[in-house]
Amino acid sequence: MDLIDRVATRDEVALKLLYDQTASRLYGLALRILGNKEWAEDVLQESFLGIWRSAGTYRDSLSPPLAWMGMLVRSRALDFLRRRRAEHLHLNLPIEDFEELPQDKDAQGPMQLVEASEQAVVLHQCLEKLEQPQRQVVSLAYLNDLSHSELASSLKLPLGTVKTWMRRSLEQLRKCMARHV
Amino acid sequence: MNLTQNPELLDRLAASYSLGTLHGGARRRFEQLAREYPQVRAAALLWQGRWSAFSEVQTPVQPDAVVWTRIANLLQAETAKAKLARQREAASKSAWPTLAWWRGLAMAGGLATVAAISVGLWSHQGLRDTSEQKLSALQTQLQMAQAELQAAPQIQYVAVLADGKADASMLVTFDPRHQQLVLQRVSGFKEADNKSLQLWALPQQGAPRSLGVMGDGKLDQLTAQETDVKAVPALAISLEPKGGVPSSMGPTGPVLFKGALIRRDL
Repeated sequence: MDLIDRVATRDEVALKLLYDQTASRLYGLALRILGNKEWAEDVLQESFLGIWRSAGTYRDSLSPPLAWMGMLVRSRALDFLRRRRAEHLHLNLPIEDFEELPQDKDAQGPMQLVEASEQAVVLHQCLEKLEQPQRQVVSLAYLNDLSHSELASSLKLPLGTVKTWMRRSLEQLRKCMARHV
Repeated sequence: MNLTQNPELLDRLAASYSLGTLHGGARRRFEQLAREYPQVRAAALLWQGRWSAFSEVQTPVQPDAVVWTRIANLLQAETAKAKLARQREAASKSAWPTLAWWRGLAMAGGLATVAAISVGLWSHQGLRDTSEQKLSALQTQLQMAQAELQAAPQIQYVAVLADGKADASMLVTFDPRHQQLVLQRVSGFKEADNKSLQLWALPQQGAPRSLGVMGDGKLDQLTAQETDVKAVPALAISLEPKGGVPSSMGPTGPVLFKGALIRRDL
């Protein structure tokens, strides 16, 4: 996607095009991490201003475009949560059930998304092979940067269960993804 | 045990490390090995790349249209700021060399004066007058340029106030140097003749504070101190009786528009 390169040259039209193509995906990601519409909107807004300012460094990151933007959104969302926690405004992480989040009517799976990187397609296929709860444990661990005990308390599961699920899912994913190399 | 001799274990640890689920001593040992062996670093990088795809496989959700409006507004403020900085730079580059040139000329004029006196000609007064006039004209020019820079608004705070349906209705900007709040109506909303719109600061703690009452024009300016808006996370506009209500009373009518106040760091 050369849109990011165009954004780096201060092309506002390119930023709008990039927004139209990726906002729903990045907003879905922010919403998934933050579980709150307003916060996710703030993070999406700040992320696009961040993309505007740092598009010039994108080429150094060696990442696929959407993964690069996703990392930006994720780190801003996690910063946001940390700040919230530090301000004691928000002591407990609300983890909304994945299935309960409002879904785009014509939501495309990653398979249909042209911009999705090859590794996203592989990860998606391998995640599909896991049971839903196992999938959730791994996703949450990565997206929300949660430890085993934090996962156990937000999912209201015994610590042992979380550890077992994590070990098994990780092993399955690892083998599945290794086959695609 | 040498991790580099056991690719299966290395892969497993690298996957867990990059996912963020390797903790305590195991994590520290892995990091130590990564410092020593490039293949350990390579394995960790490979898995970081693979896991980063998690951010791509989430279900898309269409964000509210107001988010783009806010981004576009902030972008505009940023572009204006950059333009101002360029102008300022250009001004400081061009004004001083010109001044130096004029100073040189003035000095030459002065020397000419000395020369003129020394040869006993009475025209020296005229020469000095000319160079002084030029110098003072230049100083006036410079002062005007500086005044222009001072007068250019420095927007540091921006808020887009929206109604319940998230339609942007009011753009609020604050320029702390001129202590000026500028309100701009961006929707067709018009209050009744016997009503006024009143702007409120909603502090994190405590009651809303009035920032002023809007006139019925499309654009309005209110005076405010930076302390009035600093650390205020949100602004709101309520519908009040004509002329507004005292700040201590708080909003008495319905809140029509509301939005976050964002500080733009210069």
